[in-house]
Amino acid sequence: MKVTGTPAAARTVERARRDRRGALVFTIGTGCCESTAPFLYEDFWPGPDQEVVGEVGGVSVYAPAYLRALYPGDDGVVVDVEEDLPAESMSIETEFGCRFVLREPGGAKLAGQDVLECEVDPAGPDDVPATVSARRDRGPQQLPESLRRVRMR
Amino acid sequence: MATKLFIDGAWVEAENGETFPTFAPSTGEQIDEVAKASRGDAIKAVEAARRAFDEGPWPRLSGAERAAKLNRVAEIITERSAEISEIEARDGGGTIKKAMFADIPGAAGTFQYFAGCAETEPDEFDHGESPFPPAKSVIRREPIGVCSQIVPWNFPFIMASWKIAPAIAAGNTVVLKPASFTSLSAVEMVKACEEAEIPPGVVNLITGPGGSAGEELASHPLVDKVAFTGSTEVGRRIMQLASGTVKKVTLELGGKSANIVLDDADLDLAAAGVLFGTFFHNGQVCESGTRALVHADIYDEFVGMLVERAAKIVIGDPLDMATDLGPLVAPAQVDTVERYVKLGLDEGAKLLCGGSNPAGLAEGLDSTAYFSPTIFEADNSMRIAQEEIFGPVLCVIKINSDEEAVAVANDSIYGLGGGVWSTDADRAHSVASQMRTGTVWINDYHMLSPQQPFGGYKQSGIGRELSEIGYNEYRQVKHVWRNTATNRDGYMHFAALSGEI
Repeated sequence: MKVTGTPAAARTVERARRDRRGALVFTIGTGCCESTAPFLYEDFWPGPDQEVVGEVGGVSVYAPAYLRALYPGDDGVVVDVEEDLPAESMSIETEFGCRFVLREPGGAKLAGQDVLECEVDPAGPDDVPATVSARRDRGPQQLPESLRRVRMR
Repeated sequence: MATKLFIDGAWVEAENGETFPTFAPSTGEQIDEVAKASRGDAIKAVEAARRAFDEGPWPRLSGAERAAKLNRVAEIITERSAEISEIEARDGGGTIKKAMFADIPGAAGTFQYFAGCAETEPDEFDHGESPFPPAKSVIRREPIGVCSQIVPWNFPFIMASWKIAPAIAAGNTVVLKPASFTSLSAVEMVKACEEAEIPPGVVNLITGPGGSAGEELASHPLVDKVAFTGSTEVGRRIMQLASGTVKKVTLELGGKSANIVLDDADLDLAAAGVLFGTFFHNGQVCESGTRALVHADIYDEFVGMLVERAAKIVIGDPLDMATDLGPLVAPAQVDTVERYVKLGLDEGAKLLCGGSNPAGLAEGLDSTAYFSPTIFEADNSMRIAQEEIFGPVLCVIKINSDEEAVAVANDSIYGLGGGVWSTDADRAHSVASQMRTGTVWINDYHMLSPQQPFGGYKQSGIGRELSEIGYNEYRQVKHVWRNTATNRDGYMHFAALSGEI
């Protein structure tokens, strides 16, 4: 799974960076009202099965193992922003008047879709919560060989 | 005129005076403005709830006194049923039929049920035989304190009742935050609480952004418990925010529930149940049975019945009593569904019906807010079978045995609902008992009532709502040890302190 973002998503991240107090993290989550969608949170702690799958506007995007398995390969998923607002996911919606959405894999192939391969923000390492940095320092979290075939269901 | 916030018994504008619009999804027309609470407004509401809990009369009333107020709320809701039903259907896009027959009476019934709990569930009782007589153990069930309650857009009114009613019945005080774009019926519920003369600060209402006001409700140190219904990832976020002061958390989250049709099922009944289980409220229901696991021996006949009957579902104006399905909550939700239909086709799923906006809607209805009931033949490993779409999309999956049905049903990160269709009660019960999910309906679906517990296994949630189990999620357990003996002879620990050993 590889996630990129549109210029509109990157601009919205910039706005959030100005408005929010904490360090920003994207997490892609699933289920219920928002379906599978990206959420922009501050000082968010990625779960033990989450890994970085891309950057949008200099903010790391995390996804759980379950979703990474469903979206294999590098053709990518695109984070975009739109103004229609059914959701209220404690991310940006009512506050900014827009929400982050996922576009389908192969987003670069979408007609008329301007896909931005976001540059890594030079300030990146200082721009993530200590908890995230600590996770990165530990390196990728590997399950023991004996457990790799077991599905946590 | 914009709706207001309800804080400490008074209707007030947001402190910065801001509002946001709310729309009728069926027409796209703006129907009202809603107060846009800030973080500061949320703090005021929490502080009001704290004062009402620490100093106010509510937690100190008898259960019967609180019950009388809850029963009055139920009466007011029932008296205003027609008006509230229309508000609910217009603001959320659900049908007037659903509002009148499910949402509004369901909410009134929830207040009545928890009024009964306040009257009859004991606050204090002896706890079994004592190991050290004459000392005895007494268990007290006490309210937890200030409860933040955040509800989603799919069933705004009844979800608000599932939150407010058990909490205040047990003596807690609450701050409710509905999903921003379906706030109007929650305003009506809080008005009913005000009219029933529930004291100031016991029920507070915050409408507006989750990212600021909602975050404050989930993290403020004066909050004792957070109850949330919504997305799994937002539930995780709420747990993190609540962890700072170790708040109690109950979560009701996503699902991808399996509806298992065995080879001895009554196919006529099962077809109706599978369609209802999936398409009720356009599948915007967390426990929807969006995966139909159908036994190979009856597969072709059964799938034919599903497709034939899906075409007969009446799509139209949500305010028309003949309508089965109204619009989705917003055109953006339709975009999400379209994305999954395309994903399903890309993954090789076979589209049997639906897959697009319906044609031939009455003039004035916005067809981009509607989506036809859609049925795919799919494999359980596909994204459309693993991710919750929250729209009218059914994945039919062929299974060859009860064992395979259980394995496929359990192959999901979720475990919220589920169904088993069979004429053999023992066989159905055996399958149900192996499903790792919070509710299984045998030869039925979506049957929720205040008397029955509801909640999730796995990533579908923590804790239960409704029933006496849900009531006790709003009560602490206190153990009181009462010893009337006049000496402590033979107590090893006392002897040690006295230096005798």
